[in-house]
Amino acid sequence: MSRVRYAIVSCAGLGSRLGLNSAKCLVHVEGKRIIDYLLPLVADIEDLRVVVGFQEAEVMEHVSKIRPDAVFVRNPSYASTSNSYSVNLATHDLHEPFMIIDGDMIIEPASFRRFLLAAECGESMVGVARSKTDEAVFVKLDESGYVQQFHRSPRAPFEWCGVAYLAGIRIERSSKFVFDDLSRYLPLKSHELECVEIDTPDDLKMAQREVHKYNFSYA
Amino acid sequence: MQRVAFCFDLDGTVIRGEILPHLARSIDLADEMQLLTTLTMQGVIPFEHSFRLRVKLLSEIPISTAQEIVSKLPLESNIIRFIQSHKNDSYLVTGNLDVWIKPLIERIGCECFSSEANYSGDRLLGIKSVMQKEHAVKSLRERYERIVAIGDGMNDAMMLQGADVAIAYGGFRSPVENLVRLAHYVVYNGSGLCHVLDTQ
Repeated sequence: MSRVRYAIVSCAGLGSRLGLNSAKCLVHVEGKRIIDYLLPLVADIEDLRVVVGFQEAEVMEHVSKIRPDAVFVRNPSYASTSNSYSVNLATHDLHEPFMIIDGDMIIEPASFRRFLLAAECGESMVGVARSKTDEAVFVKLDESGYVQQFHRSPRAPFEWCGVAYLAGIRIERSSKFVFDDLSRYLPLKSHELECVEIDTPDDLKMAQREVHKYNFSYA
Repeated sequence: MQRVAFCFDLDGTVIRGEILPHLARSIDLADEMQLLTTLTMQGVIPFEHSFRLRVKLLSEIPISTAQEIVSKLPLESNIIRFIQSHKNDSYLVTGNLDVWIKPLIERIGCECFSSEANYSGDRLLGIKSVMQKEHAVKSLRERYERIVAIGDGMNDAMMLQGADVAIAYGGFRSPVENLVRLAHYVVYNGSGLCHVLDTQ
């Protein structure tokens, strides 16, 4: 069992930019659904909370078969609320540190395992990845690898990747983005993850290429 | 610190099954009873009408026999552990008759809101009152700042609506769709349920 006790996976969104009329976490990438790549990574985390909204019945049916003790947190306002709202719904009653993960990501297992190990020291930590597109939220890092700033431009070597371990940090319902909340707590330690986030058809194509480079054999 | 009350549905939640179909088996009416129970859980038949009919069908069973059958039903061990470690703040809220479930409730060890029977010795005469689950929540409001309710069928809808935290439970069967719409959380086994309860 991991010393990280809580993991929140956000799967509520419409995924409108992908345009597939499917909850993004259920989209197939090279024969498996996106959530199928994520669930083995959090198998050792005792309390898994999955925020559901769009196509909630399908998501709950699929996830509960793989992880019967998952807690589903409903966000019925998914169409008009941000990811911060979903994260707040799942974390407002937690009084211990938790990990947040966007449900539209495929993460290379070894890098995730290193992230988890690093999180066990108890300090809040922001997941960053090598920048892949110009549309990302970039992070300005200092020499010690601490995030100094989140920004849209100019492009920077690393981007915020939607994974964080948060100790003593509240994500507010009213925030537009999770990184807006994180900005109030800077500087925050960063940790590199190898991952792809699937927001657009181009991201999906990239994921289909990248996923073959990841080693899932022990995930 | 807020005082929190935990209100548990009995059938299909604390008990891994339904009481009435098990009782009906002893008089060879199991299938008919299961059908009525399923339609009631789905909200097709109003609970009170269905319950009165089902009790009428089962009234020939001696109370002691019914108690023995109920006492043998399997319980959800994670939920029982939670209740027994929060005895003073856990409540069973069930439409079932007090006389049928009495020994089971004593064994579980927490307070129970239930329907009440008219009886004479070992013989069931009829129903004195049918439990309206929202009344249980209302009465607990006087003692608690926060109420958590857990159920799986449409007869739990008013209880979940009156609670501060509503949990649809699918450990025995999937919670009915309209109940899920009222819920803040949905869980599919006792372990998942206890994760939510532990953080309230």
